[in-house]
Amino acid sequence: MDMTGEYRIGAPRTEVWAALNDPAVLKACIPGCEELDKTSDTSFEAKVVQKIGPVKARFAGTVELANINAPESYTIQGEGNGGVAGFAKGAADVHLAENEDGSTTLSYEVHATVGGKLARLGSRLIDSTATKLATRFFEAFQAHLDPEAEAPRSDEDETDAAAGPSA
Amino acid sequence: MGTGIGARVKRKEDRRFITGKGKYTDDIRMENQAYAAFVRSPHAHAKVTGIDKSAALAMEGVIDVLDGHQLTGDGIGNLICGWAISSRDGSPMNMGAWSALATEKVRYVGDAVAVVIAESQALARQAAEMVEVSYEELPAAVFADKALQPGAPQVHDNAPGNLIFDWVIGEEEATEAALAGSAHVVDIDLTNNRLSPNPMEPRAAVATYDEAEDHYTLYTTSQNPHVARLVLSAFYQVAPEHKLRVIAPDVGGGFGSKIYIYPEEITCLWASMRTQRSVKWTGDRSEAFMTDAHGRDHISNVKLGFDADHRITGLKIETIANLGAYMSLFSSVTPTYLHATLYSGQYVIPHIFGNVKAVYTNTVPVDAYRGAGRPEACYMIERAMEVAARQLGVDPAELRRKNFINEFPYQTPVILTYDAGDFGGNLDKAMKAADVAGFAARKAEAAARGKLRGMGYSCYIEACGIAPSAAVGSLGSGVGLWESAEVRVNPVGTIEILTGSHSHGQGHETTFAQIVSDRFGVPMENVSIVHGDTDKVQFGMGTYGSRSGAVGMSAIVKAMDKIEAKVKKIAAHQLEASEDDIVIEGGEVKVKGTDRKLAWHEIGLAAYTAHNLPPDMEPGLKEGAFYDPSNFTFPAGCYIAEVEVDPDTGVTEIIQFTAADDFGTIINPMIVEGQVHGGVAQGIGQALLEQVVYDEDGQLITGSYMDYAMPRADDVPFYTIEHNTTVCPSNPLGIKGCGEAGAIGAPPAVINAITDAIGTDALSMPATPQKVWMALQSTASLQAAE
Amino acid sequence: MTQVTLTVNGKSVSRDVPDTMLLSEFLREELRLTGTHVGCDTSQCGACVVHLDGRAVKSCTALAVAHSGSAVTTIEGLASGKTLHPMQEAFNEHHGLQCGFCTTGMIMTGVDMVNRYKAAGKALTPEAIRKELEGNICRCTGYHNIVKAIEDAATRMDGMAQAAE
Repeated sequence: MDMTGEYRIGAPRTEVWAALNDPAVLKACIPGCEELDKTSDTSFEAKVVQKIGPVKARFAGTVELANINAPESYTIQGEGNGGVAGFAKGAADVHLAENEDGSTTLSYEVHATVGGKLARLGSRLIDSTATKLATRFFEAFQAHLDPEAEAPRSDEDETDAAAGPSA
Repeated sequence: MGTGIGARVKRKEDRRFITGKGKYTDDIRMENQAYAAFVRSPHAHAKVTGIDKSAALAMEGVIDVLDGHQLTGDGIGNLICGWAISSRDGSPMNMGAWSALATEKVRYVGDAVAVVIAESQALARQAAEMVEVSYEELPAAVFADKALQPGAPQVHDNAPGNLIFDWVIGEEEATEAALAGSAHVVDIDLTNNRLSPNPMEPRAAVATYDEAEDHYTLYTTSQNPHVARLVLSAFYQVAPEHKLRVIAPDVGGGFGSKIYIYPEEITCLWASMRTQRSVKWTGDRSEAFMTDAHGRDHISNVKLGFDADHRITGLKIETIANLGAYMSLFSSVTPTYLHATLYSGQYVIPHIFGNVKAVYTNTVPVDAYRGAGRPEACYMIERAMEVAARQLGVDPAELRRKNFINEFPYQTPVILTYDAGDFGGNLDKAMKAADVAGFAARKAEAAARGKLRGMGYSCYIEACGIAPSAAVGSLGSGVGLWESAEVRVNPVGTIEILTGSHSHGQGHETTFAQIVSDRFGVPMENVSIVHGDTDKVQFGMGTYGSRSGAVGMSAIVKAMDKIEAKVKKIAAHQLEASEDDIVIEGGEVKVKGTDRKLAWHEIGLAAYTAHNLPPDMEPGLKEGAFYDPSNFTFPAGCYIAEVEVDPDTGVTEIIQFTAADDFGTIINPMIVEGQVHGGVAQGIGQALLEQVVYDEDGQLITGSYMDYAMPRADDVPFYTIEHNTTVCPSNPLGIKGCGEAGAIGAPPAVINAITDAIGTDALSMPATPQKVWMALQSTASLQAAE
Repeated sequence: MTQVTLTVNGKSVSRDVPDTMLLSEFLREELRLTGTHVGCDTSQCGACVVHLDGRAVKSCTALAVAHSGSAVTTIEGLASGKTLHPMQEAFNEHHGLQCGFCTTGMIMTGVDMVNRYKAAGKALTPEAIRKELEGNICRCTGYHNIVKAIEDAATRMDGMAQAAE
């Protein structure tokens, strides 16, 4: 599954870059993130709760930062094991470009895969769910840096709010 | 009409099913029963680098967590394929090791690595989630054609290039020459879509080890409990046969998928010894999709040559068959001897050559599923015939008729000798019932409503009975394919028939009782059928390959022959007549032309009191027989599908489905028609709806009924069923078999009808609305460009 | 654990069960009424259909505790003693079953369907039966004889209703 996106953030690139490397910011912006602990300069351990279709699971996994080219780009890659729910892994190439007005354009390309029960029961929903999760992450991230910007679309939905059979 | 052969007798077994009193494996609860849940690989291909059981073992109520090293350590053997196939160069097939619980490597999503035994099913499943397995992921080979390409990931080390065998049948050079000299050659690529069998009852097993007797009992969802016991004993070393009882109680459908002995049954038996508990496992639908053997999955090229007079000159088929990650019990014979031996179809084809490459992939094993190799053969031949008629500009029925085999016995170029048939008669009956003559008017009427109407034929033939044991042995079978029966006449004259066949929907309790009632004039209710228990029935080969009628009932007939001989001796002795003058009629044993007679029950009583038997006769009235067929049987028929396609949506509606089958003698037409209905529905499912999908990483993404489209009531029509009987000469009742015909004959009829409607042959199964619509757009754009 | 009290096939039963227990599990494991079958895990196949307060429900999708106080009819409660319900008779008469696994759910769905159509004064045509069977999967029969059986049972149930009047 692949997706791309682009956001204009009303903050200078160095500030955006710093936020992208700040565990507290990342934790606040990753949907369903319960824990994000730095284990080295470029790696984190994470616990994330997600619901995809009928499968709800707590993923324990690692997040690594690679291809770091401060303050322009990096690759953020992660893999999580949701136990019997299966696994998910993916990588996002994030690129920051300075705009003439001092704002920053963040663009990303994500490639992600899922396995196990997630694939078996939720595959129809993976693309839409992943797109939604990415949107929510970057909108939250944008809002964090640029509270003046247009408020993120309110698409609070069943993704993690509603109760459902857990995996 | 009574209850004899040919009567539409209502089923005896129905009462327990319609009142909810059937006894399926999951309905059984043993004392001291624990529950198993399997820890399964989420990866298609990975090394197992560690299993941490501690968290699961720490849970209250978890009895044990067992893994593959313990299993193999206890001497449990690997799963085997029961039919040896050699490659064209004479080398044996490359069979990779398959342990019931994986030790070093997992090879498909769902491959079991450990089992949790706990006090409840819910607890076992929870604990299975707590078992932490570490994997080192490996790239996966998922699609059969790609798996053969250089550099593809290797599924088994001993199958280089993932090739299991490269098998040939027929004459290559002569066929090439025939094709080269043909006036016209149809050349098409066809895919036979991968299916999940989906009996409605998921697989289950309840295993009990009795330490005092050192004896095992297994209740399981099996089509062939004796074969299960044989394999569990001889190959998997679970227990010797006399220490192992296998019972297949009511079984909720099989369609081939319950022939095989799976890792779960083996593991439950072994775990019951390990834990000293009865161990029950009930699969859920998700596990069924992941672990039940799939069916079909062939990629083929077909070349069919014709001379200027439209007579077939030769046929060449090259096929790649996906066998999945391990070789299941009959996986090797399904795409070879059960498949390519039918390449001649119903036609005189002077030269045939077939090549089948069987391939390992990181998917669940593929094995026989209703039809088993024959639907794949039929699909290719019948699609090719339809395409040929279109390319040659002739009527598809007449092209078939011109090439039909009309003289029997007929030796095909691919091993089989067809013994009897009336292919032209089948076609005539089907065309009349389908009102082919009125089709043009119906098509015009549909066009006026904006619908595309099409008609498609399929003239199928299958080889059933799976026969002579010596013949299948010479072709590589590890087992004989006879059947056994025992007829027990009780002192009160009631009769018990013990059979090695197994009924899981086929109605044996009725049909088998009918032939006994017919023979001896005993009321149906005085006949009971005993099956599915290795302690009651000595041996049997079970039910698959449409063999219970042709082989199973023939064994009963042979045993009844022996009973009849003894009954006549007793009656002759008691009535002071010659044996030759004794006749059995209407429940009485009479001296021909006199009023001297004994009631049936009096014979039974005489046999057991033994007060007045002929000198040297043993008391009792019980006879057994083993029947080994002298040939396969050859059910054949003609199916005609009529469809309407909505060009706006691509939705296909099957307006009419006509089947004219030749099954030989029919014992109970009601049951036989029911078999055709069900088979045709599965064939329509394959043609329109069903497709197992793995993604490129080997993840199964059709893992539930949300994503795997099963035929539902409004996907199928009422079916029109006709019979055209030629008696099978090779067995005493003249039966050919009927269980698989529908699934074999229906798919090409449906696809031929849709392609007729939309005007292009570029359409693959399942013909979903999206695919049909896309095909329509491409023909529309072609027409626009012209 | 929560106490669940249900009237099942006319008899009151009470059990302490986990909150997560499904009605299908309650019937099969607690009451050993094993005629209610479980054929899938996504509420698609309909083998588990029972009547809950007179309506057909998939018991694999209902929590037992959520229905405490309700009346449940299972396949075991459909016949009156030795006299079969007309729907059961029709399934036998028309060979509407083969392996029998989906059958109990089919029969319970069939009875509910006929009752609803009768109450609404609507004709239960074969087309309507096929649509109504959307939630019940059968792999054996190809549905032909199931549709015939339900159609015939609808007529037989007319007779039953008249006899009761």
